[in-house]
Amino acid sequence: MATTADHFQAHADEHHHDADHKPGFFARWFMSTNHKDIGTLYLIFAIFAGVIGGAISGVMRAELADPGIQVLTPLVGWLYNETDLDQALHMWNVLITAHGLIMVFFMVMPAMIGGFGNWFIPLMIGAPDMAFPRMNNVSFWLTFVAFISLLLSSFVPGGTGLGAGTGWTVYAPLSTSGSVGPAVDFAIFSLHLAGAGSILGAINFITTILNMRAPGMTLHKMPLFVWSVLVTAFLLLLALPVLAAAITMLLTDRNFGTTFFDPAGGGDPVLYQHLFWFFGHPEVYIMILPGFGMISQIIATFSRKPVFGYLGMAYAMVAIGVVGFVVWAHHMYVVGLNVNTKMYFTAATMVIAVPTGIKIFSWIATMWGGSLEFKSPMVWALGFIFLFTVGGVTGVVLANGGIDDYMHDTYYVVAHFHYVLSLGAVFALFAGFYYWFPKMSGRMHSEMLAHIHFWIFFVGVNMIFFPMHFLGMDGMPRRIPDYPAAYAYWNQFATVGYWIMAGSMLVFFANMLYAFTAGKKAAPNYWGEGATTLEWTLTSPPPYHQFETLPVIDDVDHDHGGTVAPA
Amino acid sequence: MNRTAQFPEKNGRVALILLAVAAGMLALGFASVPLYRLFCQVTGFGGTTQRATLAESVTAEKLAQSAGGRTISVRFDGNVSAGMPWTFGPEQVTQTVAIGRRNMALFSAKNNSSVPVTGTASFNVEPEQAGPYFNKIQCFCFTEQTLQPGQAVDMPVIYYVDPKALDDPDMKGVEQITLSYTFHRKG
Amino acid sequence: MNLGEFARKRLGFASAALMAVALLATPQSGYAQATPRLDAQAENVAREDIPESQAAEPSTLDVAPGAGEVARLGPEWIKGQPALGGVNFQDQYSPNGEYALWMHNAILLPLITFICLLVLGLLLYVVVRFNRRRNTVPSRTAHNTVIEVVWTLVPVLVLVFIAIPSITLLARQYQAAPEDALTVKVTGYQWYWGYTYPDNGGFEVISNMLPPEQAIERGEPAILAVDNRLVVPAGEPIRIQTTGADVIHSFAIPSMWFKIDAVPGRLNERVLYIEEPGIYYGQCSELCGARHAYMPIAVEALPRPQFDAWVLAQGGTLGGPDLPTAPAPRQEPESSVSGAPGAGVPEPLEDPAAGPNSPTAPAPLSPPGVTAGPTA
Ligand code: HEM
Ligand SMILES: [Cu+2]
Ligand SMILES: [Cu+2]
Repeated sequence: MATTADHFQAHADEHHHDADHKPGFFARWFMSTNHKDIGTLYLIFAIFAGVIGGAISGVMRAELADPGIQVLTPLVGWLYNETDLDQALHMWNVLITAHGLIMVFFMVMPAMIGGFGNWFIPLMIGAPDMAFPRMNNVSFWLTFVAFISLLLSSFVPGGTGLGAGTGWTVYAPLSTSGSVGPAVDFAIFSLHLAGAGSILGAINFITTILNMRAPGMTLHKMPLFVWSVLVTAFLLLLALPVLAAAITMLLTDRNFGTTFFDPAGGGDPVLYQHLFWFFGHPEVYIMILPGFGMISQIIATFSRKPVFGYLGMAYAMVAIGVVGFVVWAHHMYVVGLNVNTKMYFTAATMVIAVPTGIKIFSWIATMWGGSLEFKSPMVWALGFIFLFTVGGVTGVVLANGGIDDYMHDTYYVVAHFHYVLSLGAVFALFAGFYYWFPKMSGRMHSEMLAHIHFWIFFVGVNMIFFPMHFLGMDGMPRRIPDYPAAYAYWNQFATVGYWIMAGSMLVFFANMLYAFTAGKKAAPNYWGEGATTLEWTLTSPPPYHQFETLPVIDDVDHDHGGTVAPA
Repeated sequence: MNRTAQFPEKNGRVALILLAVAAGMLALGFASVPLYRLFCQVTGFGGTTQRATLAESVTAEKLAQSAGGRTISVRFDGNVSAGMPWTFGPEQVTQTVAIGRRNMALFSAKNNSSVPVTGTASFNVEPEQAGPYFNKIQCFCFTEQTLQPGQAVDMPVIYYVDPKALDDPDMKGVEQITLSYTFHRKG
Repeated sequence: MNLGEFARKRLGFASAALMAVALLATPQSGYAQATPRLDAQAENVAREDIPESQAAEPSTLDVAPGAGEVARLGPEWIKGQPALGGVNFQDQYSPNGEYALWMHNAILLPLITFICLLVLGLLLYVVVRFNRRRNTVPSRTAHNTVIEVVWTLVPVLVLVFIAIPSITLLARQYQAAPEDALTVKVTGYQWYWGYTYPDNGGFEVISNMLPPEQAIERGEPAILAVDNRLVVPAGEPIRIQTTGADVIHSFAIPSMWFKIDAVPGRLNERVLYIEEPGIYYGQCSELCGARHAYMPIAVEALPRPQFDAWVLAQGGTLGGPDLPTAPAPRQEPESSVSGAPGAGVPEPLEDPAAGPNSPTAPAPLSPPGVTAGPTA
């Protein structure tokens, strides 16, 4: 071995000056090749997109607060100077489409993979940067332009009104013959760019993780967050090209007279759904796996214990990834599948619940016997475990093809996927954010505000999404701006929840403001002895270039992954 | 020392492999169109009917006779897609046919517009599990059809139900098969 | 959103949130019994903008004249509809629906409630028992093969246990309709439904949403009430076939546990069995464009004699599809594609092994029992 840990400490000091040399503003933020800077860009971008996506859902909740059309008509009047009711109704579809696409492609994915992945994968495996720093920059700017393209789509014709109103699933033929005008083309183009950016990112992460680990950092010693991003990157690599193919065919069906999904030329609209969900189901796990990884790090840190069943945890994620590719038609139970196909997908889908259960029980076992400290990341992580469980069990209900005949395309499904996403993935994101924010910024946030944020957010999102189970069971279809009076009660309730949730976000931004203006300087390891992965050996924020001298990973502590050898 | 520079070839090779994997999945995405069609044609998935030759139908009929001449009801359904200026539908709602026995059903079509219109028909049977056993020997759906302005035609389909259906447990209890067509405007 | 109004009209937020939690624990709460207030939105302004005739009447169809004049059930017959502030499934009026509801309420809901409470309980226990004050020295336990095997195998067994009723339910839902079941073809249009009765002369009933004021006038729920309902007989299996005329729609009746997509270019089929006469509402359940929210489904199930009367009042016929009628005159068509199979009378079939019982061309046909002019 070339160096040892004490060497590493010495070198870090020696090179400090050098390591912190940063390029000028434009070069640093627009031509960035530094994984931490790119991570920061992704996080800022994700917060920005999240605010827009969240504002859109605010409009949606305002419209749904009461039966009838209240908000959409003034909205199209204000935005487009239109007064037609159909335009207002089309606007609804534009809003749900934009909300879904933004939250999936421009909030959760950029934050989890682009943001935390970029920031911490190299740090956790002891690498100086990503394998392809320039490609990393390209990935970010592709995502950025993709977002612009999606926003632009709302201002060009898309059929009944302006904007793409197809739902995030972009089903043919509503997205082909059913949506005349360039809006859907812009939206598809946006998905192409975002997809290309994510595929490049996936290649970058896999290469980095496979090739650039510090000496001694074997695969089975990697922190679980690294494992989660590795599995996620493989899912991206295998799933996104299929989406790309599907939407390319949509594009040519729309513009060049092909008939891939048009029965007029021997095509089949149902095939589009098969392709979309072949991508779409892995995609939902793409959105949650890095969250699993972060939760594992956080639970271990604040329990001062190694993760329970490390190998089981790692391979549960691999299993989820693999099985996730053979369950897609559970999104298509009512499209007209034959009985055997439906039985197969019912069985296969239920299988996924097993590794998911392993993860939940292992997190609890990690805490069992631990010495738990309820810092803000831990509180968010605890919230995650419970709420993700609630979302997971409704998934098991939906997995039953015969039962799903009732729930499909009702609010029950909306409740399910928001419990795993808005209350799962987003809780994981906030947990990770509070966990690493001082590491990234060098400033401590206010723990008190972070706790207040948690409790208000917790109440708000549960008020929004729990009643959606009731609405779904009462039969309310999803994707409608107006509804029978019977559904008014819980819809009003959910809208109140939205404002509570929105209020909690003010606390979040206040906390950021506090941290940057008055936050205390963060020590290298501000969470104490429970935090054992490599990023805690570095200053907060880490030097602009880290690990120019290799850290060496000792092989005593199998279960943690990535502990630096004691001096 | 910059370790990024340490493994350019190694990283490049991994990246190339991964890129090839992605390209492969992309190709698979496009290839799924013909593959799905083939899959449906071969297995009858989605209620896709089969094409048979006359000789095959004769064999089927022999088989059916030795199996004792059971009958099944066949229902016919016709639709036109949006923008198709035809009237199109079956001339008989149902037929009761001997399994294995060739039969002909007629559909009538009329072009209600003032221009010649070419159409193609998509089709499937329900229940779906009947797909592999529903054989067409002749069908207007095999090719495009053109109707002159105001022209009306009868379009025949000659079909038989494969006696192998009797051995399929999934076909138990299926007393009626619906053959459905939808005419789409071409071009 | 007017918070004050909300607070006045409804329970306090806290008690409502508590109730939500309580409902998780006591799934079969009878809370849902409130009857909907049908006049709830009489003053709604925006809805009045909805055009009265939402859809162009398709040109080539026999649209049922005066549909609804015969035996239109009054609002007292409404059975399948959402409950105001409901927290439960709609009441089920079909055998499969009852089975599915039983499976959910007796197996799935208790199970998922138990799992959630188990996880919640464990979390609370861990938080209380292993916090830093009570447990300053963490254990280093990171393995326990037995428990890992247990929490892998027990869920597997539970899922196998669920699979049994789940597969039974699927098998029931896919039972084929008997040959003589009444067939109704449901066509989804942007944005209304068409119901064709091929066995009864092939007439098509076009069903549009009623403007909300009219619905309320008739004592029916706004957004669910339609001008012409899908009328079917109660107490017998019905073969529902769906197709889409433009984009994908989905034909759904929650109180029958029934949902099947209407896909352009293909036909889907499921059996519907309605146990008793009544009115049952549903809504389109696949995003189909601007007025997706405004294409409700209203089913009116009648006793067979009333159904027959209704059919006759539509100008339809009784007696089923095999009623013999004179075959339509054959025409001599032309085709642009020479030799196309569709080009008129089929070419004589060369039968390679013509035996005495083999058909020769044109194959001896069963009489084309025409009862209906073609419908489009
Ligand atoms: C226990 C594991 C899970 C099972 C068995 C499961 C099952 C299902 C099923 C059957 C559906 C289709 C429902 C329908 O449309 O009728 C569905 C929808 C969905 N699930 Fe899950 N799920 C699970 C976990 C997750 C996770 C972890 C996520 C994401 C983090 C997720 C995200 C979604 C989304 C986004 C949809 C709706 C997509 C759409 O229609 O727009 N699910 N799930
Ligand atoms: Cu899925
Ligand atoms: Cu719809």
